[in-house]
Amino acid sequence: MDRETRLAWLVDHYHRPRFRGALPDADARVPGGNPGCGDVITMYLKDGVVGWEGVGCTLSQAAASILAERVNHEKLTFEAILEMPPEAMIELLGRDIAESRPGCALLALGTLKGAVKTVEMNRKLKAAGHTDQQIQALRRAITAQGEESGVVVGDGAEKAAQGALPS
Amino acid sequence: MTQTVAAVSDITTRGYAQPDVLVSTQWVEDNRNNPKVRLLESNEDVLLYETGHIPGAVKIDWVTDLNDPLLRDYVTRDRFERLLRSKGINQDTTIVFYGDKNNWWATYAFWVFKLFGVENVRILDGGRLRWAEEGRELVTAIPTYPEGNIKVRERDDSAIRAFRSQVELHVQRNGKLVDVRSPEEYRGERLHMPEYPNEGALRGGHIPGAKSIPWGRAITAETHTFKPASELRTLYESENGLQKTDDVVAYCRIGERSSHTWFVLTYLLGFKNVKNYDGSWTEWGNLVRAPIEKP
Repeated sequence: MDRETRLAWLVDHYHRPRFRGALPDADARVPGGNPGCGDVITMYLKDGVVGWEGVGCTLSQAAASILAERVNHEKLTFEAILEMPPEAMIELLGRDIAESRPGCALLALGTLKGAVKTVEMNRKLKAAGHTDQQIQALRRAITAQGEESGVVVGDGAEKAAQGALPS
Repeated sequence: MTQTVAAVSDITTRGYAQPDVLVSTQWVEDNRNNPKVRLLESNEDVLLYETGHIPGAVKIDWVTDLNDPLLRDYVTRDRFERLLRSKGINQDTTIVFYGDKNNWWATYAFWVFKLFGVENVRILDGGRLRWAEEGRELVTAIPTYPEGNIKVRERDDSAIRAFRSQVELHVQRNGKLVDVRSPEEYRGERLHMPEYPNEGALRGGHIPGAKSIPWGRAITAETHTFKPASELRTLYESENGLQKTDDVVAYCRIGERSSHTWFVLTYLLGFKNVKNYDGSWTEWGNLVRAPIEKP
């Protein structure tokens, strides 16, 4: 794909996003944010299908659309998603374009991996006998612990990313 | 055909120290076919220009065009001069920057141009968003221009750029510092996602003594234009104790948002000695034993 075609492809994904929208009763809903420029992507997983919502720059939103399309069309396994290296995403989007904005280009992939890990952890916790309520409480504790250490994951990611915008 | 949006006052009535540094959307509309005017769009969003831009505008990308590909520094004089000539810029061209995020990246490019001594540079008040909200034309056709003839001097960082050692000395002397990041960044609440490249720093907080004045407070939210000088003086001088004669260092994460505040203090309020610390928090927050305040 030459540069012009790739640019048109990215802009098309931005204007006509694929698989955009929340998935009801999702196995996982994980937001990710980029505090540098305010991009937010929320990934949903339901029975191996990816949906997403988001606001932000053209590249971050196009990347989410392209990633969701690839995962859903190729029916990528959790293992394949977790093994997808950031470099592969950069190559997929076009190194000449994506390399200068790695945060925007990789936000969707990082957030999707977070969603996969959430589903896998929930399965393990359920297998260990925890109820859904107990799992939610554990998640809240992990988020609070992250905030104390300067690491923001989960719902706090949206707020942190929004903090990058003019207040 | 323009749409009805919140009105803005005439730039010349706002009491700025150098009102000529700003142009209005109507001025751009009237001059976009003027061969001595070159519109340059500079965005954070790397693909925004491709989705549509002001007719005749060309793109300047802060990463690929202005930054050295190897060193953390700006491009050489030769490369910068070639860039400007490739955009059809001549010695007598009036350059007008505009961009997304209320001109955050336009002022960053403006600041880099000033490092190279390019004099005739202006900012479109209200930026890309104001232009779009007024319903003015955006096109996807990418223009080309004959090679320009501008000559650029060697970069001079001394007047408007601060380096780490200068900031360390500035802190020791209790100099005025402005942290223009969001309050969350100032307070040290940073974000790090799993599998996500950490472009930030190993420590959160702010440089000791820095005042938190988010850059976006210089903008009128409804119009995206710069606030009048009286409101800016209230913000920077009355509320935060800065004075025109102060040596001021502004910083953010990599020096882009702080270039906006540098622009406001220097050109709109007439401060005489403002420097932009482009190393900013990605440098300071990674320095071993650098002093940090975290409220």
